[in-house]
Amino acid sequence: MKRNRIMLTGLSALVMASASAFGADLRTWTDVQGRQVEASFVKMIGDDIQLQTADGQFHQFPLARLSTEDQGIAKKMMASAAPAVEVSPETPAVGTGITGFPYPKEGYGAAARQVDTLVAKGIVTKGNKQRAEDGLPPLKGFNPAANDEQFVRRVYLDVIGRIPSYEETMVFLKNADPMKRTTLINTLLDSEGYASHMFNYFAEMLRVKHNLEQANLQGDDYVNWLRRQMDGNRPWDQMVKAMMVAEGKMWTEDSNKADGWDDKGAAGYLLRDAGMPLDNLANTLTVFLGTDVACAQCHDHPFAEWTQMQFYEVASFFGATKTRTRDRNQGLMGEVEAMVTESGQDITRLRNGLRNYVQANSYAVEDVDMNDMKLPHDYQYPDAKPGDPVKPKLIMWSDKDKGNPAYKVSKGDSEKLRQSFASWMTHPENPRFAMTIANRLWKRAFGVGVAEPVTNIDDPEASANPELLKYLAEVMKKVKFDMKEFQRIILNTRAYQSEATTEAIAMGSMYFFQGPQLRRMSAEQTWDSYMALVLGKPEAYKAPLSDLYGKSIDLNLNNEKLTAKDVLIKYSAYRQMADKQRALMGGGLDAAGGDSMMMMGGEDKGGMAKEEPAAAAGGAGKYLSYGGWRLLRASELSQPERGGHFLAEFGQSPRSLIDGGSKVGSVPQVLMMMNGGAQEMLTNRQSLIFRTMDKVTNPADKVETLFLSVMNRKPTLQEKDIAKREIGTHGEEGYSSMIWALINTREFIFIQ
Amino acid sequence: MKTTLNKFDEFSRRQFMERVAKTALGVTLLPVGAQVARAAAEGGSAKRVIYLFMEGGMSHIDTFDPKTGATKGASDPVKANAGSGNIDFLGGYMPKLAKQANKLSIIRSMSSKTGVHESGRYIMRTAYEPRGTIVHPSMGAWASHFKGRIEGVTLPDSVTIGNGAHPGAGFFPPALSPIPITNAASGLQNTKSAIGDEMFTKRVALMDEFDTAFRKKFQSDDVKAYTEFYDETMKLLKSKDLGAFDISQEPANVREKYGNSGFGQGCLLARRLVENGVRFVEVQAGGWDMHNNIDTAMTNNGEMLDTAFSALVEDLEAKGMLKDTLVVLGSEFGRTPEINENAGRDHYPLCYSTVFAGGGTKGGFIYGSSDKDGKRVADKQTAPEDFVATIAYAMGLPIGEVVMSPSGRPFTVGHKGVPVKDLFV
Repeated sequence: MKRNRIMLTGLSALVMASASAFGADLRTWTDVQGRQVEASFVKMIGDDIQLQTADGQFHQFPLARLSTEDQGIAKKMMASAAPAVEVSPETPAVGTGITGFPYPKEGYGAAARQVDTLVAKGIVTKGNKQRAEDGLPPLKGFNPAANDEQFVRRVYLDVIGRIPSYEETMVFLKNADPMKRTTLINTLLDSEGYASHMFNYFAEMLRVKHNLEQANLQGDDYVNWLRRQMDGNRPWDQMVKAMMVAEGKMWTEDSNKADGWDDKGAAGYLLRDAGMPLDNLANTLTVFLGTDVACAQCHDHPFAEWTQMQFYEVASFFGATKTRTRDRNQGLMGEVEAMVTESGQDITRLRNGLRNYVQANSYAVEDVDMNDMKLPHDYQYPDAKPGDPVKPKLIMWSDKDKGNPAYKVSKGDSEKLRQSFASWMTHPENPRFAMTIANRLWKRAFGVGVAEPVTNIDDPEASANPELLKYLAEVMKKVKFDMKEFQRIILNTRAYQSEATTEAIAMGSMYFFQGPQLRRMSAEQTWDSYMALVLGKPEAYKAPLSDLYGKSIDLNLNNEKLTAKDVLIKYSAYRQMADKQRALMGGGLDAAGGDSMMMMGGEDKGGMAKEEPAAAAGGAGKYLSYGGWRLLRASELSQPERGGHFLAEFGQSPRSLIDGGSKVGSVPQVLMMMNGGAQEMLTNRQSLIFRTMDKVTNPADKVETLFLSVMNRKPTLQEKDIAKREIGTHGEEGYSSMIWALINTREFIFIQ
Repeated sequence: MKTTLNKFDEFSRRQFMERVAKTALGVTLLPVGAQVARAAAEGGSAKRVIYLFMEGGMSHIDTFDPKTGATKGASDPVKANAGSGNIDFLGGYMPKLAKQANKLSIIRSMSSKTGVHESGRYIMRTAYEPRGTIVHPSMGAWASHFKGRIEGVTLPDSVTIGNGAHPGAGFFPPALSPIPITNAASGLQNTKSAIGDEMFTKRVALMDEFDTAFRKKFQSDDVKAYTEFYDETMKLLKSKDLGAFDISQEPANVREKYGNSGFGQGCLLARRLVENGVRFVEVQAGGWDMHNNIDTAMTNNGEMLDTAFSALVEDLEAKGMLKDTLVVLGSEFGRTPEINENAGRDHYPLCYSTVFAGGGTKGGFIYGSSDKDGKRVADKQTAPEDFVATIAYAMGLPIGEVVMSPSGRPFTVGHKGVPVKDLFV
């Protein structure tokens, strides 16, 4: 490492510059000659100490140059602040963790300790072996600890899906409590933003949509179900089981209330892929068991040992489950059409709408007596003939699975097939279930899974850190699939609280978690961060409840007494509700927004944002809108947003494929960042950033407020100079320019 | 259980390939995008390509490979106009295209190995199966790599129109990525700056100043890619031809002719773009995953495709551009000949169809055939690699030339597929 011996002489000017500094980690250091500087402790390197002044500069010099008292303080800080950790190549003892890191005393602290122990071990063993093969220098341990500014921005983004507001940033930075990171993690995990951010993650994974491909079917109740799961932090195993065993239509009331939860809407998981049971099953195994067998739908898996027969044996658990009822559909439509024509109306104009309405009611999950799962007509292997019936049989990943209690679930009769599959799949001892969700949540925090891809774990021993992967699965079981508790552990590790890795990481290469990877914000994180800049706490704004669809569309097709007249009366009521809902959900508003979305000026220019109270019928929704955008968090908007919306341009998943979001850049994205409505909204004199800046008068303080609002950090010395120049030449306009420039930096959109 | 393909074999392979590349002849180990003098490749009658991509898996029997037997489906085949060569019939949902059949060349013997949407789309765009360690380039990026940006043209080389995931530039630099337009009617948004050119330029400089430290610290490809997109955007904003993205400049009757669908308007936008020098445009059409009620679904989507495709071909011909503009239609796979219990058809990679028009193709020509029910290829089996190589051939790209990815792996456009030269005049 290059040694940069910087004398403290002349640094007293810095004390002036950072007179308004407030970071808890900033203190006044005195050298042997009595000169002083305000700086934060970074680390000790041999006999040297490294300090960081408020301008962000690092200064390294011999510790002996400091006063005796300060030397002692530095040594203590070194012991407690956990700077860059060096790990000895010997296997650390179980649960040792990282010396000096402030693990919480609670149980999750001990688990975090053990996670760190395993990560550290993985770095110096498998990690460095792999790195040597790749021609990379060995790692000594974790990356340096993230500083408070880096940490506060990252943990807000990771836990509640948006950057912190100015106020939230300041509260954290000013706090002097050594356990303040743990406290913040706990606060965030219990906030509304957590549920919103989790919803986005699972909506993307489960392909949750408002408008499903089939007929006129809307997924509103499925969307609402997922929201309730996240709001209430329902254990993952219960949640998955509910999706597997749900019955009826998507809007059928739940009479069972399994585990005390209302599962109306959970049928959406199977109905999402109605008519495609094999695709649905392939998705199920991929998403919940990290086992990609999609190839085996058509032929034996080319690489792994999954056979087409095995695939159909698992599919057979769903062989007695139907997702469509076809009972009276056709005949009834004929009667309805005749009645419409008789009344003198033009059936050609109404036909599609009527058909869609009736058809939507034919999507229902029902179990029948007959399991009709058969091998495909082109089955080509010698063990059976095309069209042979297939008996249900569970898959195993290794011979050890034979004694696994998950496989002891009762087979049950044909009507209980799905239930027995669900019991096996969500069983704590299932060889892949706990591991798959643990690996996924790990990836959420670090940017990469222990086993990659997360949709196909395959052989855990071949993962980056098999011991860690197995431990994480154990932890998941121990917390009883409480995803919040699981994340509490990960977030309290030294590994997570390290600086993001700066080296370029080759695609597909193994990663050993010396810190999180640098990640671009997701579309939802970017949008929600804009909302934080505009609204402060965007969670305070909610879309109106949207249960009108399910309430109005229901038609009992199994009812023998249902007449064409009933259908028409109900259809007309449904249409009225649909219109009302469109107004509520902003369908009409969005359409009107369309091309004018980006228009500057108009009536929005004067006031910052105009408040648009929701129509009376739906619920307590109240939100602001600006230039055709509804200023709500992404989880409150249409799932997914339409093409051309900010979210779509930034890569929100169209929800047709698992984990379908994209973080790839594009020209339209850049154009939106440069010239889009969001820029107008943020650089506007009325914006929250300006209003926060107005609370101080001194230009230097204004600049600091601006940086803390947008980047959640103080400006460096150089940046202060640039800012001075900007304001000098452009006056007030300079602030707008700086907001514009900062939001367009890579630093803004990448999570450190 | 066996381990899947070794996912982490990159580096040993890289070292090996670097050695090979340094000694072997005929291998270009160039910075991507660089130009070399090379022997003129064959083909090359298509200066521009419009690729119509039917997402979801288009039923071959209901569109370009109609049957009359048990697998016919709900609609009767429609007779092609006289003078359409060996094309007798198209699917019943294609009446307008049946009148243009003299301009179409159909491959009825496509066959692929994957019935999964994601991988089917990927291979039909790149000629490679998806891998966890690399992203392969799509055709527009291959063309830009070999031919460079078109001289005198200020618009980007390639554009995609639609909402689907796309491999884009793959391992080539981000600057070769197609510009994605999610909604044809809104075109390219946000090209006007409210603050004036001078202020705009100053702000961009300010952004670079503030971002210096970060970009120096994080040398990741993702960060660099974003910086390249900013550079590309600045270049594009200076283009005099930005109006090409605005289809509202077209007369109402022209817009109507393409049909009032996103796809139809996308085809119109594609035409405007190729007119202004864009080389490769992909227009996506969703809604082809017809597992349920295929008759209803085909009535809607068939009409959409029939109207837009026929309007596009007609329009290009009227403008004298069809001879050097290739319009090609593909999909991830076909659909099952048998109608399922939900009155739909399921995924079917074993046999499906693709269509070509213009760009030096014959027209009124069928290549290969399926059996009587559309279940198996009967003659001249054609793989996705061959299909992609055919597009490359039409554009005159050097099909055999090995290009090394930055990770040192060798790739070729079309992945060793054999172009179907019979399609061309």
